[in-house]
Amino acid sequence: MSTTTAPAGAPASRKDKAKASDRAVAENRLGLKLVLPALVVMLFVTAFPMLQALWLSLSNYALTAPDDRSFVGAQNYVTALTDPLFWRTMLVTVAIMVVTVFFELVIGFVFALVMHRVIFARGIIRTSILIPYGIITVVSGFAWQFAFSGTNGFVNAWLPFVEDNFNWFGEQFPALVAICVSEIWKTTPFMSLLLLAGLAQVSEDMVEAAKVDGATWWQRLWRVILPNMRAAIMVAILFRALDAFRIFDNIFVMTNGAVNTESVSFLTYRQVIEQFQIGMGSALSVLLFLSVLIIAFGIVKLFRVDLAQARGEG
Amino acid sequence: MRGPRRGLWRPLGVAATIVLAASTLSACSESGKPTLNWYINPDGQDTLTSLAEQCSTDEYDIAIQLLPTGATDQRTQLARRLAANDSTTDLMSLDPVFVPEFANADWLLEFEGDAADAVVDDDVLAGPADTVQWEDKIYAAPQWANTQVLWYRESLAEAAGISDALQEGTATWSQVIDAAAQNDGTVGVQADRYEAYMVWINALVQGAGGDIVSDTEAGVDAQVDIDSDAGRAAAEVVAQLAGSPAAQSDLSVSREGTSLGAMFPDGGAGEFMTNWTFVYKNYEPNDTNGFTDEQFADLAWARYPRTVEGEESKPPVGGIDIGVGAYTEHPEYALEAAQCVTTPEAQLALAVNDGLMPARSSVYEEQELVDAYDPTLLTLFRESIEDGGPRPKSAFYNQISGSVQSTWHPPADVDPERTPERSANFIRDVLGGKALL
Amino acid sequence: MGNTPLRKIGVVVGAALILIWCLLPVAWIISLSFKSQDAITNGSPGFFPAEGGFAGWDNYVAAWDNEQFRRAIFNSIGISLIATLLSVIVATLAAYAIARLEFKGKKLVLSTALAIAMFPVVSLVGPLFDMWRAVGLYDTWPGLIIPYMSFTLPLAIWTLSAFFREIPWEMEQAAQVDGATSWQAFRKVIVPLAAPGVFTAAILTFFFAWNDFVFGISLTSTEAARPIPASLSFFVGSDPFNRPASLLAAGAVIATVPIIVIVLLFQRKIVAGLTSGAVKG
Repeated sequence: MSTTTAPAGAPASRKDKAKASDRAVAENRLGLKLVLPALVVMLFVTAFPMLQALWLSLSNYALTAPDDRSFVGAQNYVTALTDPLFWRTMLVTVAIMVVTVFFELVIGFVFALVMHRVIFARGIIRTSILIPYGIITVVSGFAWQFAFSGTNGFVNAWLPFVEDNFNWFGEQFPALVAICVSEIWKTTPFMSLLLLAGLAQVSEDMVEAAKVDGATWWQRLWRVILPNMRAAIMVAILFRALDAFRIFDNIFVMTNGAVNTESVSFLTYRQVIEQFQIGMGSALSVLLFLSVLIIAFGIVKLFRVDLAQARGEG
Repeated sequence: MRGPRRGLWRPLGVAATIVLAASTLSACSESGKPTLNWYINPDGQDTLTSLAEQCSTDEYDIAIQLLPTGATDQRTQLARRLAANDSTTDLMSLDPVFVPEFANADWLLEFEGDAADAVVDDDVLAGPADTVQWEDKIYAAPQWANTQVLWYRESLAEAAGISDALQEGTATWSQVIDAAAQNDGTVGVQADRYEAYMVWINALVQGAGGDIVSDTEAGVDAQVDIDSDAGRAAAEVVAQLAGSPAAQSDLSVSREGTSLGAMFPDGGAGEFMTNWTFVYKNYEPNDTNGFTDEQFADLAWARYPRTVEGEESKPPVGGIDIGVGAYTEHPEYALEAAQCVTTPEAQLALAVNDGLMPARSSVYEEQELVDAYDPTLLTLFRESIEDGGPRPKSAFYNQISGSVQSTWHPPADVDPERTPERSANFIRDVLGGKALL
Repeated sequence: MGNTPLRKIGVVVGAALILIWCLLPVAWIISLSFKSQDAITNGSPGFFPAEGGFAGWDNYVAAWDNEQFRRAIFNSIGISLIATLLSVIVATLAAYAIARLEFKGKKLVLSTALAIAMFPVVSLVGPLFDMWRAVGLYDTWPGLIIPYMSFTLPLAIWTLSAFFREIPWEMEQAAQVDGATSWQAFRKVIVPLAAPGVFTAAILTFFFAWNDFVFGISLTSTEAARPIPASLSFFVGSDPFNRPASLLAAGAVIATVPIIVIVLLFQRKIVAGLTSGAVKG
């Protein structure tokens, strides 16, 4: 690798300019060679199947009745987009996304502040905070499902104003609460670490200066700290929002989509893997993909997130 | 350039070798003697494992592969393998409701000639025999039959004064629910959004003399009948239970196992519970389960309750059929093995050890089985299987069942006036590809 | 920022809250795993096992005795390790190029990585299932390793390029001036500097592969390749009609042990990797 910057054997007869462009060409070629494997692996599993999904979504094709396959044009899209179930799952998904990201942001920020300030037991706290991050989502789902269970859990006993045999999974709202709790528990630590990194970037001098000017803690937070963390916060929101929009594991484990808790991902999965409706499932896959694009685009435009800058990229 | 490059590429080569080795690992097990894979559902694992050993011969071995617990998950796992034209799916334990779908997709090998005669003869009960046939061909071998009865506490029934009606088999759901509600008892059913909820709804509709769908050979053009008096009668039962104090608190997520604990609770009078045949062995006192002889003596059983007065109940039937994968490399062996694991001896072992009732009439006479069960219970099981109502026999059963589950869940939202109509429209739309499921 | 007593108390309370938040559910699943299965069947509410409902190590023994579960652990470890190894190698090449070289298409690689980090995984299961069954990768280790690689590459590339950018590459030249060959310079100077970054990327990649559920349930159907999360969701106890909550909890604890060990050993590196990859200062 080192040879690219130390061209020991470069022919000396050439002119400097030619040498430089020669080297640029070589560097260009080497760069492409080095990124090619990554690019191929990433695109092989995403772009190619996505194109296939686009093609499959135009036919009526169920694996259980392969002989009845037929080309139907945009019919699957029309069916999906006019189906109340699709819009209901979309609403549920967006609701989960907004609620979980909001709580993760608030709690995560508090955690980040504490971790930023804490001087004792740093190791223990950072170790603990990585456990929810590392734990399998399915395990988190099970843990909370059993915790909320009326027959074997403890939540009902611990919460005031909740009857001991209250069934959290009997109705849409409490079931969604349980799902959100599991999701928030698992991902808040990740959020708090991202915010902690942002917090570390805020210059202490500026905070100190504001303090000298007589700003209260609250004012310092809103006028100095938060604006200076903007990039970090926006990146955290973008990533968590898109992650939350794809929610699947917790729903699969905790309710299996019962009592109207299906997300768009879950609906898509069920069409493809349980119903074997490859045609309709592919249409939903494409719609899901488009939704993610729209949300990503929306967040980037709305909050004017500059990803390149946030990443330190020129 | 050379040095560092080699250094970087070497690990790649190593990794590629590892991947290759891993991918060929699974194929390595093939020695001379072929192994047939038998995908079983988890009921009666130990007996099925020894059956697999007994039915292995000098020419082939049978290896057990375990499927997940739920009927829908089992179907998904098998169907995915078969859709992938998997040649290692040789034998499979199939819930009868999925035989038409699998047969229609050409995933099952047909039993012909002698094989067909052997697996479906006069000895096989009519209900199970019907489940393995699709378009007048035989696609599986009945292995065991399941049915639901009403399990209850004798003390509770006596306190409520409905013992006689229960024993005559004339008690209705409405009576049972009221009896439980008025005597501090509960009613256990399966009403989570899964296959057994469909089992309950189907039994209720058929018990009122109706059907969820009919003319199922027409595939997606089947006639949808649930929007009828029978459908409304079924919805009334569900709604009555959901609104009654007799409903268990976890009604909307109740499964076969969840209501077992409510039979002998710490406080309260116990329950009436519709459930499969395995329940008897569950409460039979042994070292680990902690049930007492007094409790066991209080356990009683009766025919599945009626949906409406004056109309005989149609108890749910289920069980397992053994199918042979269409892409197996050893069709003769697999067909032979399928017969071997469904012989009367095999069925007797499953019944005695695991409480999985025989699909063959003659096995009910076996002394060993009579000794293991209360004779009245055996008679009840057999009658229930014979009089039972099957679920719709359609290649699109999964869609029908899913549509019903979706529109009837949660039970608390079932409205006799609207639910049957809504579910009828939904089934039609789903079958017609006009609605998402 | 000052150190008023009020603030001190706030930090202590906050630290306690963080610990409770992170550890309570873990304590709960451990506690649940000690409830006996009969107690679960008959209902055993409460955080701790009720009297008489304590199972000792029974659930752990039973979970470990489950052949399918053991296979799932083996699969998960094998698949995750291979995916991690391959992903890190490929990502190292790419990250080096991104951090050190000027070439056309750099933006393309970065945007692709970004797009894939946001890709809705579920929308791939249909087409991938179709492709895999056509080429025979369905229900095999490589069938999972390949998608795991694709989806861990973005994170690995970012983490690594952030690390690589910090490396003082002049030292390499200095070493060469001192008479080392370019290979020696690379191995003796650059590798030790880059190793922590590579290592961090490997841990994060491993976490992703270990955690994956969507591919695990869609692209496998037997214990030939089924990983732990999928296996847990299909977990079957001795009683087929009961979801064996406490047994499942024992399985979940076993599945979590590797994660906790990794976290305990490499806490610092993980934190550094997570924060440097996503938000670079």
